[in-house]
Amino acid sequence: MDEWNDQADQGGQDGPVETVIEVRNLTKRFGSKLVLDNVSLAIEKGKTTVIIGPSGCGKTVLIKHFIALQRPSAGEVYFRDQRIDRLSEHDLDDIRTHFGYLFQEGALFDSLSVAENIMFPIRQHHRDVTRKAMEEVVKAKLAMVGLDGFQNYFPANLSGGQRKRVALARAVALNPEVILYDEPTTGLDPIRSDIINELVLKLEGDLNVTSVVVTHDMKSAYKVGDRIIMLHNGRIIADGDADQIRSHPHPTVQQFIHGQVSEDDLAVLRMSGVVAQSQFLPRDFEK
Amino acid sequence: MIATLGAKAIQDMINAGRLGRFAWRAITTSARSCARRQTFPLVWTQMNIIGVRSVPVVMITGAFVGMTLAVQAYDQLAGMGLEEHLGVLINISVVKELGPVLAAVMLAGRVGGALTAELGTMNVTEQIDAIRSMGTDPIRYLVAPRLLACLMLTPVLIIYADLMGVVGGALVSFLQLGINSRAYWNFSAYGVELWDVSIGVIKGFFFGGAIALISCYKGFTCKEGAHGVGQACTDAFVASFISILALDFALAVTFKSIYLTFWPLKSLVG
Ligand SMILES: Nc1ncnc2c1ncn2[C@@H]1O[C@H](COP(=O)(O)OP(=O)(O)OP(=O)(O)O)[C@@H](O)[C@H]1O
Ligand SMILES: [Mg+2]
Repeated sequence: MDEWNDQADQGGQDGPVETVIEVRNLTKRFGSKLVLDNVSLAIEKGKTTVIIGPSGCGKTVLIKHFIALQRPSAGEVYFRDQRIDRLSEHDLDDIRTHFGYLFQEGALFDSLSVAENIMFPIRQHHRDVTRKAMEEVVKAKLAMVGLDGFQNYFPANLSGGQRKRVALARAVALNPEVILYDEPTTGLDPIRSDIINELVLKLEGDLNVTSVVVTHDMKSAYKVGDRIIMLHNGRIIADGDADQIRSHPHPTVQQFIHGQVSEDDLAVLRMSGVVAQSQFLPRDFEK
Repeated sequence: MIATLGAKAIQDMINAGRLGRFAWRAITTSARSCARRQTFPLVWTQMNIIGVRSVPVVMITGAFVGMTLAVQAYDQLAGMGLEEHLGVLINISVVKELGPVLAAVMLAGRVGGALTAELGTMNVTEQIDAIRSMGTDPIRYLVAPRLLACLMLTPVLIIYADLMGVVGGALVSFLQLGINSRAYWNFSAYGVELWDVSIGVIKGFFFGGAIALISCYKGFTCKEGAHGVGQACTDAFVASFISILALDFALAVTFKSIYLTFWPLKSLVG
């Protein structure tokens, strides 16, 4: 399709497992709030690792550490064999070109059109590429997420799901070796979600891309994940393939994957008056 | 009470240190990116936004300064029978002080506010993180073009303000106050030296740098949410305004001592 496909294509399927990203004893605090508590994790090359966990448990914070967008309060982060958590922003620039990062909210540049958003990383790192070649890449990447024809739209004129897909197209514009997806299917309809799942699988299969997918969507987790990790209160409480997770003994894991509310949470709702008190209807003020 | 004050003072020192580091990185990055072909279109766009669209407001500011000075100063000078010296007074004040300072304040509001709001919004919507995640230095991509555009264009805009101030002052003097135009220009030419105009323009260089650095810094360190962006804009304007006045004072002192040391030599050469 284009000349940047080659870079991601190196390395064989066999041989001993090779880790691409590794975090050791990672702890992250915001002020006094402990978000990640001594997390250790190694991401294998060419595999898709899914990270699940309740909202606010620190999934986004964790994968931001993988490209040093966040710095640890304690612990170490490695890319291949290089320690990256202490590197200067300048030294990180090179390392980050190996990654594609899909932001949870998309983070598209709202002053640039869809096409210019996707061209941005190419322009920054491949100065000699002609305009025409770039337009072809943009067309191919947009077609991949089902949005060819939207080149001249601005992010403000797209729906939430369309923005997310443009952001995905931008994240893979440089054909990175490692792609970090922060909730790629949230906000998409079921069919579109499944197309994104297929896309993740295809990138992994065809180009041997290493993927980390953060998601709440268990269907997509089982489908794309070679390995599933569950994060809870800043710790890893489960780690295994889809079958191991399905039959995991930990009650929190079972509740999460079946979408069951815990009795404690229900008790709060059942407590008399909690819901009524939180709704101020006009008639409350009439008395 | 004392503990709060102390904590606040320490926080202010830390912030000043951060601003200093940010400014240093911005300046070195800008200097390096002058040599990069990729920077030119970005600077060009910013020059358009920052410079070209500011011309009208800056010219209006200048014209009113000149006109007001003429009206105010006339009575004082006429009382002493010196009304033909009005030109010197107006033109010196305009090119040395009021033109540069008021044009810079105008720019702090118009350009500084827009810069902070733009970068602040980019910050809270993770667009700056997105730039970092793609291996590009946001200071190089966002700050350097804005800083360069401000540095180059503030002096130019000040020249516009000066011109309009001179024209405005002259028009009021001739048409409303009935001063002899020949005498007016003669005294002006005698009293206003190239040195005075240069001071004003050099000041513009410093004011432009201060506005760009402070506004970009406030945008980059902006807190979450609409309130955070609004707060950052207010802070940026207040900080730019104060630093314009402080720089003006510092530069006035510096230039005066330079003038006293070196300008007399001119007569020896000439
Ligand atoms: N910049 C920050 N400052 C302070 N606290 C933060 C910051 N970023 C994240 N947090 C806190 O860290 C915790 C984890 O946030 P994170 O965004 O990683 O959650 P998440 O697992 O991605 O949740 P979701 O599924 O809802 O996206 C939250 O409780 C949040 O309050
Ligand atoms: Mg998240």
